[in-house]
Amino acid sequence: MRRWLIALSASLPLCAQLAPPVASYDIRASLDAQKHTITGEQTLTWVNDSPDTVPTLQFHLYMNAFRNSRSTFFRESGGQLRGDRAAEDGWGWIQVNSMKLEDGTDLTPRIRCISPDDGNPDDCTVIEVPLSEPVRPGAALRVSMRFTTQLPKVFARTGYRGDFHLAGQWFPKIGVWETKGFRYAEKSGWNCHQFHANSEFYSNYGDYRVELTVPSRFVVGATGELVKRTDDAQRGTSTYWFAQPSVTDFAWTAQPGFLRVERMFEARKQTTPEELASAARLHGISLEDARLSDVKMIALIQPEHAEQTERHFQALATALKYFGLWYGRYPYRTITVVDPPHGAGGAGGMEYPTFITAGTSYRLPRDVLTLELVTVHEFGHQFWMQLVASNEFEESWLDEGFNTYSTGKIVDKVYGGTSLPLTVFGSNLWSWLRLPKLTQASMDRAAHVGTPVRDPLATRAWEFYDSSSYSINSYSRTGVALRTLEALLGEDTMARVMRAYHQRWRFRHPHSRDFQQVVQEVSGRDLDWFFSQFVFGSRKLDYAVSEIRNRRLDTPVGVFEKGGGKQTVTAKEARRRDEEREKRGEKPQYESWVKVERLGDAIAPQEIEIRFRDGHIERRAWDGQGRWAKFTFTRAAEIESATIDPQRRYALDVNLANNSRKADYNTALSTQWSVRLLFWAQNTMLWLTALV
Amino acid sequence: MLPLIAYWSGLGRAWRRKRMLALYWFFHTLCAAAAALPLMAVAVPQLGRSRLGDELMRQFDLAWLAEIASAAGAAAPAVVFAILAASAVLLLGAVFLAAGAVPLLAEEGALYSPETFWRGAGRNFWPFLRLALYSFIPYGAAFAIAGLLRRGAQALWGEGLAARPLVLADYARMALLIVLFGLISTAMDFAKVRLALSGSRQSLRACFASLRLVWRNPGVVFWLWACFAATGAALAWAYVELAVRLEGGGAALVVVLVLLQQAYVLARIVLRFAAWGAAAELDPILRPLPAPEPTPAPVPVHDYQI
Repeated sequence: MRRWLIALSASLPLCAQLAPPVASYDIRASLDAQKHTITGEQTLTWVNDSPDTVPTLQFHLYMNAFRNSRSTFFRESGGQLRGDRAAEDGWGWIQVNSMKLEDGTDLTPRIRCISPDDGNPDDCTVIEVPLSEPVRPGAALRVSMRFTTQLPKVFARTGYRGDFHLAGQWFPKIGVWETKGFRYAEKSGWNCHQFHANSEFYSNYGDYRVELTVPSRFVVGATGELVKRTDDAQRGTSTYWFAQPSVTDFAWTAQPGFLRVERMFEARKQTTPEELASAARLHGISLEDARLSDVKMIALIQPEHAEQTERHFQALATALKYFGLWYGRYPYRTITVVDPPHGAGGAGGMEYPTFITAGTSYRLPRDVLTLELVTVHEFGHQFWMQLVASNEFEESWLDEGFNTYSTGKIVDKVYGGTSLPLTVFGSNLWSWLRLPKLTQASMDRAAHVGTPVRDPLATRAWEFYDSSSYSINSYSRTGVALRTLEALLGEDTMARVMRAYHQRWRFRHPHSRDFQQVVQEVSGRDLDWFFSQFVFGSRKLDYAVSEIRNRRLDTPVGVFEKGGGKQTVTAKEARRRDEEREKRGEKPQYESWVKVERLGDAIAPQEIEIRFRDGHIERRAWDGQGRWAKFTFTRAAEIESATIDPQRRYALDVNLANNSRKADYNTALSTQWSVRLLFWAQNTMLWLTALV
Repeated sequence: MLPLIAYWSGLGRAWRRKRMLALYWFFHTLCAAAAALPLMAVAVPQLGRSRLGDELMRQFDLAWLAEIASAAGAAAPAVVFAILAASAVLLLGAVFLAAGAVPLLAEEGALYSPETFWRGAGRNFWPFLRLALYSFIPYGAAFAIAGLLRRGAQALWGEGLAARPLVLADYARMALLIVLFGLISTAMDFAKVRLALSGSRQSLRACFASLRLVWRNPGVVFWLWACFAATGAALAWAYVELAVRLEGGGAALVVVLVLLQQAYVLARIVLRFAAWGAAAELDPILRPLPAPEPTPAPVPVHDYQI
């Protein structure tokens, strides 16, 4: 193996080294397609880039999450994830057969399973190996390992179905050594979490060189670039060499039936000079820095989805363009999208470096954008997960949520929203019924509003109230929070914030406070109130206009002091004076007030817009601190309506309908909708009449 | 030809019952209003006060629907109960009105008056209601057949890597289910006619006798149902095409839309009447009524004279 690696290094003008390699892998593996096992050997080169002396090594053995029902993953998930159920006869596992240091020291007997998160003695998704000689700061350690991986039946992003194989998290992978003060580390140590049900991954950057041997009939796709392929006619196998520097992981797929199609993303054709100039101007960079690079797009498509191949490429090209223009050019030379077959949905919608799995269905209607959404989203993880490698275990909002926000902006901008699949015999009734398209912004907000606010966004993935809270907070609610932030800062400032954060933390491992710092630096504003309540806190935002009153200021009646004596104004007298004023053409005066309320526990500065019947508009600011506030006006016109947060900056507000109030009840609207409900009831009754 | 003849005859019978149509529509609308009221109480008032009401309702905003669901909070069980109660009102109303209309459509010479309508509704309500409940048996059987087909398809192709055969099997299953529902629905029309004409209260017998009739004359019944289904689909298409052009318009267009909605409801009621009329037309042809019991010859009155 070493020989071809040396030859490869010499001959390959791979992408420039983008990140200093900390954990690099040279892997040789072969697939037994009958047993769905992978036999492999790997040499890990781990560089101690910390000032600490490291006495042990810790590795993830993710595949052991599927070993039995007593693993932490199974205990937490109950064998179900993302609508998928683990097959009872499809367990997966990984076994480290040997582990040796470069000097021949055999570490195998020292391997022991540990459970740093929950102490589960039955979980073996993390192993620890004490070293005889600690690794000094700056030193590199070479560890050779032999392992066997049994793929599970497709479940939780990985596995096999029939002759389809998706190998994700399939090799022993070293944890991340975090020195004291790095991210949230209070003391130096390994950040190597067990595999949880609600969790993804975290690892260092490194260079990967992987040699895969599979039966020749298989079509293979993987992270990185295919360097070469050789065929062994006698054994009926083919060997593929893949290489990719500066990535955090390596995944691959193999299936005989894949249609492999390639297209080039030609940056000059995909972007106009105006778009480049606009991006350069917005971010204060040169045109050269704004320019994108050409990328080879590879699609591995199921034959029955052949007619959707171009949709995959269009979605990829859209994502390459906008992520590139907004956050910085995609630095790798390839991107591979895998279309899993029927029944392997559990392997779909997943991201690995330069390699993503999407998901579609047979005869997916053109106006249902599931395929585009998932492709753009998974590609987006190249930016929020791979290039900015936050810790997905501990702060899932930084990758899933940021990506939900970015994906939503692209999909809403380019596609204008999606129809929902309401298909009958392959035709979508949604469009026929002219139902409005749904934007991502609307769908994210619906998810946010419909789910109680129980956890801060920045919560460790397995410590959320439940899996629903994990997914809503990690995805939709973060999307809504970032849209709120965008509305508060302005679209351009937010664009600069996101690019600055991305560029500063590219090929690094930021945490939530790093993002807050960038936001405050770029915007020049103290936003601690926002982050403490909505990112590190779980406050619910709900402001309402609760009351509007208009009172005509007629001539007062009763006894009044006048000229040292008492004067009585009767009701009759008062009416007479009012009538006289009206005859003179004087407009009556009104004392009007608006009451606004804070129904939630979140506090946010608010603006209130009050519209009067004569067209006059008043605006008032409220710090939003109290439980309620009253604004009183004396004018020659009544208040027609009042709106709190008229610009709708706070998408986080859980009730938009109560943000405004009209003095008069909107009879036309209620009549129209009452009639519509009546019509629906009439038709339901006619269906019942027809059936029974 | 027989299905077409019955179809036209059914339409003719419906057309001749214009006053009954008006009465039926009125009470049908009353029942629907009773069912819709609880929903109106939940959905409409909040937005009637909001400046965003027009916008939220026009766009049918998902987030707003979530707001409503969220705002319902503790009242959610009450809303669910209201929906169930509304469904019960709709079902009972549908059966009651059908019980009044079917006899007048089935008997060619019967004279219409509101009294005869309500008398028929009162007399036939319980047999019709029982029939409605018994109809769950054949509908359940149709579901079971579809379920078996699904299992079969799953067993044949479920483990494969292609969805195509499963999707095509699903289309076939769906088509079969629609046709079975259509045939059962038409059979229930025949059963209603038979119950109304014979004055029998044996709903279960009428149900199975009508299913037997359909079993023996599947072609005629299928084409009859197909005629009505095609007409219904054409009406729905025309309604949607017109309605989308009127949505979001001013007050005048809203009024036109409301009129259009009610015209559509009326047209559907006419189709329902026509289906019952067509069943009445076909019933004696496909399944002649049993010969009447021989009645004893009248005894001369004077024989009883003492």
